[in-house]
Amino acid sequence: MPVGLPEFVENPENRCPVLLLLDTSGSMAGEPIQELNRGIAAFKEDILKDTKASLSVEVAIITFGPVRLIQDFATIDQFTPPRLEASGKTPIGEAIDCALDRLEARKETYKANGIQYYRPWVFLITDGSPTDTCWPLAAQRVREDEAKRRLCFFAVGVKDADMNTLRQIAPHERPPVLLNGLDFRSLFVWLSTSMKRVSSDKIGVAVALPPVGWGQITS
Amino acid sequence: MDWKAIARSATGMSHKKQQLPCQDYGDFSISHKGILGAVADGAGSAKHSDVGAKLTVKTALNELLQLRSYTWQLHWYAQPLSDQQARKIFANTLKKVVEALQKQAVSGGYSINDLACTLLVFLATPNWVAAMQIGDGFIVARLQEGEHQLLFPPDKGEFINETTFVTSANALNEMQVRVLPGQQKFICASTDGLERVAIRMSDWTPFPPFFQPLEEYMVETSHPEQEDEYIRNFLDSERLNAKTDDDKTLLLCFYDDSKVK
Repeated sequence: MPVGLPEFVENPENRCPVLLLLDTSGSMAGEPIQELNRGIAAFKEDILKDTKASLSVEVAIITFGPVRLIQDFATIDQFTPPRLEASGKTPIGEAIDCALDRLEARKETYKANGIQYYRPWVFLITDGSPTDTCWPLAAQRVREDEAKRRLCFFAVGVKDADMNTLRQIAPHERPPVLLNGLDFRSLFVWLSTSMKRVSSDKIGVAVALPPVGWGQITS
Repeated sequence: MDWKAIARSATGMSHKKQQLPCQDYGDFSISHKGILGAVADGAGSAKHSDVGAKLTVKTALNELLQLRSYTWQLHWYAQPLSDQQARKIFANTLKKVVEALQKQAVSGGYSINDLACTLLVFLATPNWVAAMQIGDGFIVARLQEGEHQLLFPPDKGEFINETTFVTSANALNEMQVRVLPGQQKFICASTDGLERVAIRMSDWTPFPPFFQPLEEYMVETSHPEQEDEYIRNFLDSERLNAKTDDDKTLLLCFYDDSKVK
């Protein structure tokens, strides 16, 4: 006697959140900000090539300063790469606080809707040093969250970035990386490749990330 | 009548693409009124997790089989095991599994973590089922006249790509154990490859239209292990592969009491 086939329940896609924390202070004016814009556009293009990643990866962008959420979490198809302009100071501490708050809020939304998610990534890119005084507290928060495995925090310095301070912000196990020149494109293609790997992986806490070909790890 | 059962695994598309073996394994053992079942899902990040999953399942079943001749029979028709008894039995199962994995790791010249896998085990009589779970995957049971129920809440870390393995330091603490009394009808154990299509994740309830046809198939077939085409075709179907690229395993058990006088 023929038997019917199992039907499938519709569950929402797993989400793979990545938050870009971008320095748009005055010193980024000119070529740096243009290359950063191109890099973000390349990120979108590259994620779109991968069906699973484009359904899973969600991007948010916070720029500083002043600190502004210019793109709330959205899947790649809903995401329009911004045209960033440079002006203002470098309130890194305030920006990190804003990012971590936003991330926690996003997780609550996921939980409330039964959406499963991967460990979020926060990507800080800066060419300066903090102009606010709260950055040590923010750095502590980063390290605590990282230790509790609430997120993966990456710090990237551009050109004359204050790598000493970045080293105090970035978690020990993941020291800051100094970008090769203004090669944002390679950085974002790497980020996209990493996101594809993360979003296609199921179990296994340690996803082997592609080699960092776009910068130097300074220790 | 008696228990009927079938266990089948299929390699996920992502593993096929990377030319990796199927890292899932499932098996069972029926003896008159009792059934033992186990499934394991080898960790994607562990080098020899296919070996680990198979060894884990075989060891768990062997250990429980030995146990059965002593303790288990006492409880056969009568009362269900207490939670404490079940926990003790499964803790011992885990211990033996870890010993076997350690031995394998030594003889293979690699770390025990290279054999990391999840483990779900149950032992069932017509009147109760006792089960354990380490890591993700699911066991769904339906009592006579009952609805499908998920035996354990999912063991996910906060994030989807985190789970516990039998080789984890905290495996014993994270081991979930449950005894479900009542007239058994249908049990389905599976690795997490099928989770997304079988379980509604917003409230972790089994999706009956997924399980009903599987149960119906178990009703219809008298020798599921020989008549496995339905299950194999389903596990390899494009329709399913479009939904999951992971290895997937089905261990189905059905207690047929239709001819009992």
